[in-house]
Amino acid sequence: MGQVKKYVVGCFDDEKVLFPAVKKVRAAGYKIQDVYTPMPVHGLDHALGMRETSLHTAGFIYGITGTTTALVCMSWIFTSDWPLNIGGKPHLPLPAFIPITFELTVLFAAVGMVLTFCYLCQLAPFVKKHHFHERATDDLMVMVIECTAKTNEEEVKAMLNSNGAVEVNVQEAPVGWWLGRYDRPSKLFKTREVAY
Amino acid sequence: MSLLKYESTLREPLVDGEKTYHQVTEDICRPVEEKANTGWKIGFTISVALLLFGIYSVYREVTYGIGQWNLNKTIGWGWDITNFVWWVGIGHAGTLISAILLLFRQGWRTGVNRAAEAMTIFAVMCAGQFPIFHMGRVWDAFFVLPYANTRGPLWVNFASPLLWDVFAISTYFTVSLLFWYSGLIPDFATIRDRAKTKARKLWYGVVSFGWTGSTKHWQRHESLSLVLAGLSTPLVLSVHTIVSFDFATSVVPGWHTTIFPPYFVAGAIFSGFAMVQTLMLVTRKVMKLDDYITLGHIEAMNKVIVLTGSIVGIAYLTELFMAWYGGSKFEYDAFYKYRIAGPYGWSYWTMMTCNVISPQLFWSKKLRRNVAFTFIMSIVVNIGMWFERFVIIVTSVYRDYIPSSWSVYYRPTIWEVGFYLGTFGLFFTCYFLFSKFAPVIAIAEIKHVLKTSGESFKEKMDVIEKESVDHFAHEHAHAH
Amino acid sequence: MIKEQFEITGRYKQWAYALIGVGVLALVLGFVFLNVAGDANSFGVTKYWAVLMHNSIYFLLVAVAAMFFISATTMAMGGWQTSMRRVPEAISGYVYVGGAIALVILLGYVFGSQNTAIYHWKDAEHVAHDKVLTWKKGFLNPTFFSIATILVIGIWMALSYWYRKVSLAEDAGAPGDRSYFWKTIIICAAFIVVYGLTVGSTTPWLWLMSIDAHWFSTMYSWYTFASSWVAGLSLIMLFIVYLKNQGYLEYVNEEHIHDVGKFIFAFSIFWTYLWFSQYMLIWYSNQPEETVYFQPRLHGAYQGIFYLNLIINFVAPILILMKRSSKRNYATVTFMSVVLIFGHWLDFYQMIMPGSLKGDVNDGNSIGLFIFDMGVAAGFIGLIMLIVGNKLTKASLLPKNHPFVKESIVHHT
Repeated sequence: MGQVKKYVVGCFDDEKVLFPAVKKVRAAGYKIQDVYTPMPVHGLDHALGMRETSLHTAGFIYGITGTTTALVCMSWIFTSDWPLNIGGKPHLPLPAFIPITFELTVLFAAVGMVLTFCYLCQLAPFVKKHHFHERATDDLMVMVIECTAKTNEEEVKAMLNSNGAVEVNVQEAPVGWWLGRYDRPSKLFKTREVAY
Repeated sequence: MSLLKYESTLREPLVDGEKTYHQVTEDICRPVEEKANTGWKIGFTISVALLLFGIYSVYREVTYGIGQWNLNKTIGWGWDITNFVWWVGIGHAGTLISAILLLFRQGWRTGVNRAAEAMTIFAVMCAGQFPIFHMGRVWDAFFVLPYANTRGPLWVNFASPLLWDVFAISTYFTVSLLFWYSGLIPDFATIRDRAKTKARKLWYGVVSFGWTGSTKHWQRHESLSLVLAGLSTPLVLSVHTIVSFDFATSVVPGWHTTIFPPYFVAGAIFSGFAMVQTLMLVTRKVMKLDDYITLGHIEAMNKVIVLTGSIVGIAYLTELFMAWYGGSKFEYDAFYKYRIAGPYGWSYWTMMTCNVISPQLFWSKKLRRNVAFTFIMSIVVNIGMWFERFVIIVTSVYRDYIPSSWSVYYRPTIWEVGFYLGTFGLFFTCYFLFSKFAPVIAIAEIKHVLKTSGESFKEKMDVIEKESVDHFAHEHAHAH
Repeated sequence: MIKEQFEITGRYKQWAYALIGVGVLALVLGFVFLNVAGDANSFGVTKYWAVLMHNSIYFLLVAVAAMFFISATTMAMGGWQTSMRRVPEAISGYVYVGGAIALVILLGYVFGSQNTAIYHWKDAEHVAHDKVLTWKKGFLNPTFFSIATILVIGIWMALSYWYRKVSLAEDAGAPGDRSYFWKTIIICAAFIVVYGLTVGSTTPWLWLMSIDAHWFSTMYSWYTFASSWVAGLSLIMLFIVYLKNQGYLEYVNEEHIHDVGKFIFAFSIFWTYLWFSQYMLIWYSNQPEETVYFQPRLHGAYQGIFYLNLIINFVAPILILMKRSSKRNYATVTFMSVVLIFGHWLDFYQMIMPGSLKGDVNDGNSIGLFIFDMGVAAGFIGLIMLIVGNKLTKASLLPKNHPFVKESIVHHT
């Protein structure tokens, strides 16, 4: 629970309206903090100017780690730690190592990536975040524009309204996440002074 | 980003009826939010009863030893390993649907992938029971783990296909679970945000991990799904491949054949799709989800069934041909004396009829789209695939090299049967719980394809369809 | 103006004829220097025939793989490949000439040559003394071989012809008429079945596995399929890139290249999977009647090719094509396609040569003649260029009435 910021929130119910609105809001120089959507909207990340994620690169590194771990461990065990004659095969039966090597590659890559994903997106049980609109996971695409000291809220609201937003409001919300439960309302920031 | 939502009108809609995003949410969340109906309660009770019987059977086996399964010669494991391979095979369709069909961009997967993945996980759980309890002293099951121990060989044997199995099945289970759950998170968040009761808010709040639907998160989520799909695709192949290695690396006639890996994989996909059909046909009816699991979905899955059934058929014939062509007496006998003929000949012909001959009926479009027929076929295929494993295992082992292992009158004991029934109990208990407490259809993914493949949206595409190609290309493709 | 009508350039023709010339020259020189007119079972004669069989079978299967590409994507209702559909169509046009060549060579060898080193099952006297071959006589005999070969090649030709006919009729038909599409569905379904029963099972046993007549592997046909399939995809890719560079195929872009690239990548891994399954199982159970196949390949003169095969066909594609950007890069995919077509040609080489040249396996004699192999291959490549180029000129490059053509245009990976 850190800083509290002020946001102008505009809700859209159609991608066809959302995309031009995103374009205009960005062109006007406002900072779109995020757009919350109920499903992945292809191209929205580019429209918002986000860079590509490098999650898959991380996955590749985890995978390589798995490959190396499997090969190194098995080779060391079978050749130097405890060599055994199994069915007259060589002590380094490479073809017989392939299945386990493959499995560990996949295991490391998958587990590593999911954990990285959860870490980057701050996803875990009992994590709670501010939700700008409860229908953001149902049928609304919620555009959240961060206000600075210079921002004229009314102007932003008018802009969103004229660009097809079906609902526009201003919210104060804490940045980041905190531990909490969704069945209890959080009164964490309402009473506090809002600091910009 | 092209704002154009276009799909050829030749394709059937994937979502029937007039749907909006909100309607999709409503339809799919309804079973979770409503009280369980009588059908669900009855089914769940039967499943739990079966599970309890299974638990008792396992209790007998653990307490009194594997003598309860009449295990005194190699064929004694016939039933249990058949069940193991059968369940693992069933556990292949889910990941195939979500992974391979995702990579191949088969849009129809969205309707069935969530339930199929869940089925995968439950089937793998059931499969795992068999080798674990087959160990006899189940409390020593940790012996399979690779750590430096003081038991003699110090390490496990990394060159043994059985150990590969340990790695393959556990990896497969883990990765499938992660894949499934990472897809569920956004849908759990949907239920959380519309929850009315406190308990539901708490529960779905916990399991949805604080998902907000941020664009950046979706971007990562998409990347994650794609890479997990890419990883799962070879993984699916590897799992049944390794199961087939259990047999094929040996020098038992009828087992040692190089086609086993891809042939087992094809068979696994075949049986997995049959099980998905069985479950989906019931689910769409009971939960009234036939707008989302349409006849088009059923037809597509039936096409996969006829394809994989035929691949399996080619493999059967290849094996049969090679048993002759190879000119090895033992190989020849295994097939021509003990498989297609002999005391277990009936099981071979059951397998052939159920797996190769009867699926050919699906060449008919009418039958592919017939719900009742599909349901019967899905059961037939599952029976056939069970017999495939029975044939491979039993007919090769009952005339093993040592005459003392010979046996014609092999049959499982009541506790083995009980164990098998128990895994059905486990499977369906899990599935019933899943269908009650989680959305059985991927909500976000349906919304993603709604505007291209929804019925009411497709009607609007007739106009586009009439445009000339040049005009279309000029208007849309470059309007990025 | 959209260039939908391909015209062969002079340079393209020059290249094709030059390559054919190289091939003919290699054949003539080979005929002279290998002393093909001499003793029927000499090394030279065996090598000559083996090279002819290697190239004619390989390139025929590659062309058939292009037809398989059409059939598989049609049956799966794949829309994305519609805008480049004419390329595999043109490649499958090689089936007529290539099929005829393979037919002449195979039947010519079985009936016209005294040589028995490649198919030693055709020597009745030898078979009579060989218990294993006597056992297999029902399958491995000249009569069955020739009937099956004629039938198989004939059916491939007929189905390719039929498909092409319907596909061209669709262009001439009314826009929005989908009856042609449903007709192609039937042809493609028939082709898939035929493909499964030929390339997927019997044909490789008959043409290739029977070279090592005692040996057997149930995987063999599927392995051969995977090999020719990857090569077929690579050839499709090469022609697409060529046409793009010439300014054709306006509606094909990186998205489509990416998807073909994904196919090449995935099936290279699939090929490796089958390679590994076959090799590992034989290695693991270690039975002499099976390991005999790998003995000459893994030890002796072919060792280098054995490992090179894996490096080219597995390590290279997995490392180079893994990245998304490299599957979208014209230069990379071209390079990889060329490498893979060579790689699988090499794979066929190591399937055919060690078994054919048994006695001469270890002296390195056969490997030393690699330049001759390459020369003949060049001739076949030239022929493919000529025929495929010709086929491409015969129709518009865009099947504009195909029901999926618009999907293909807006295709987005």
